[in-house]
Amino acid sequence: MAPKQGPLDEVIRKRLLIDGNDAGDDRRINLLVKSFIKWCNSGSQEEGYSQYQRMLSTLSQCEFSMGKTLLIYDMNLREMENYEKIYKEIECSIAGAHEKIAECKKQILQAKRIQKNHEEYGVLAKVIQHHPDRHETLKKLDAMGKELEHLSHIKESVEYKLELRQKQFHVLLSTIHELQQILENDKKLSELEEAQETSMDTDPKP
Amino acid sequence: MEPVTQACPLDQELNPGPFSPQADALTTEHTGRMEVFQALQRLHMTIFSQCFSPCGKFLAAGNNYGQIAIFSLSAALSSEAKEESKKPIVTFQAHDGPVYSMVSTDRHLFSAGDGEVKAWLWAEILKKGCKELWCRQPPYRTSLEVPEINALLLVPKENSLILAGGDCQLHTMDLETGTFTRALRGHTDYIHCLALRDRNPEVLSGGEDGTVRLWDLRMAKEVQTIEVYKHEECSRPHNGRWIGCLATDSDWMVCGGGPALTLWHLRSSTPTTIFPMWAPQKHVTFYQDLILSAGQGPCVNQWQLSGELKAQVPGSSPGLLSLSLNQQPAAPECKVLTAAGNSCRVDVFTNLGYRAFSLSF
Repeated sequence: MAPKQGPLDEVIRKRLLIDGNDAGDDRRINLLVKSFIKWCNSGSQEEGYSQYQRMLSTLSQCEFSMGKTLLIYDMNLREMENYEKIYKEIECSIAGAHEKIAECKKQILQAKRIQKNHEEYGVLAKVIQHHPDRHETLKKLDAMGKELEHLSHIKESVEYKLELRQKQFHVLLSTIHELQQILENDKKLSELEEAQETSMDTDPKP
Repeated sequence: MEPVTQACPLDQELNPGPFSPQADALTTEHTGRMEVFQALQRLHMTIFSQCFSPCGKFLAAGNNYGQIAIFSLSAALSSEAKEESKKPIVTFQAHDGPVYSMVSTDRHLFSAGDGEVKAWLWAEILKKGCKELWCRQPPYRTSLEVPEINALLLVPKENSLILAGGDCQLHTMDLETGTFTRALRGHTDYIHCLALRDRNPEVLSGGEDGTVRLWDLRMAKEVQTIEVYKHEECSRPHNGRWIGCLATDSDWMVCGGGPALTLWHLRSSTPTTIFPMWAPQKHVTFYQDLILSAGQGPCVNQWQLSGELKAQVPGSSPGLLSLSLNQQPAAPECKVLTAAGNSCRVDVFTNLGYRAFSLSF
């Protein structure tokens, strides 16, 4: 059995190639050959003519199916070309999509960075808002500075007055003391004079 | 893990033959015990730290048993991922104690635990050769101290690594020479977290004492101290004053922990936005125009700078300790957010809106 499988396979393969669809083409050609031989062996004119007609019709059927197969073959070739074209187009668009994806990924990273900066800004802004406004604080500082100046002026003038009074009292006190001294001196002088007079009185001329 | 030494009651001979039923019973009991032990280990596991590889395709996770597991992200994210792709490709014992912190450079992985920092080569680890390059200890004040190193920070401009932890100091280690160059003192209690400020070369550190301190690396001294708990708007005395997480964006800083999660403007040292989250947050990070935070509770929270909660995405662990974003340019297809915490699972988020899947130890 084994050595016969080889040629058997070949035969099966050939038959499938010839007429795998079983459209009857192979049978028709065999029938044509058989009817040709019958026509050659036909007797009467009538029979021969009818056989001849029948053979022509079978022949035209065969030609028709052959034409059909050729057209199908053409169509298949053109479909193949079409598919090749579509395949190439799809490849290009896949490559384009890959590039777009890479581009979009870069854009996402950029957007994330921007978002992060935005959030950092927001967070710092919140902290800064807690602190009072700079203009307000400067104004307050100015006002306080002026008040300070004013108060220091007042302090200066008060101190000046105090000093003046001190000096005046000093002058007054020293004048009083001097007057006291003068009065005391005068009293002493008058006492001395009185003493001298009494001693002159008691002591007459020798 | 004790070997099976007690005698099986069926065992008549001291040394059963290789195909005897007594030997089979012993081995099945042994494997059964192993499985129970491993299951118990996974139940009590906490993942403290995570780190992505320089190529972006692998994730390293460190747990409280001192193990580091390497997961292949590209395998887990690929379309034909199976259950085994969500398991580590290699697990090794890195430290005796928990691995609290990990960072990665172009070729090395640094892991820190109780008192020591170890370096590993990524190329070696991926080939399953798990031998450390070096193991160093920063100079502690007394030799008896073994303080834990809670945070590691890489400073690429000066090619150094900063360690901070239980001894309340920041140690700087130069990566070329391996020597410890500075010890910055100022904190009065242990340090939880570090962050690097890009524009001015400053380091921020937050600690248990409730302060966030800014250190200038060139002058090697403290530039500013922010006492977070003293500000009424954000302090929460019932939680304590500890600062568990820090993140900075040069002009802005987010910190949280005991006090509420707050956004600070560094130039003016004012708290600008308080995020209304009652649970203490253990990890926070800036991402594009959002702030991502995680802490007690299974969710990863996404906040806008104005204080609005944009989204709350639940993960699979009851509490989260670390978040990690894979932004390595070499692997844009592995651009994921991973979250890990009080469980043996690492949640992977491919899109910030939902949890895609979980990797598991």
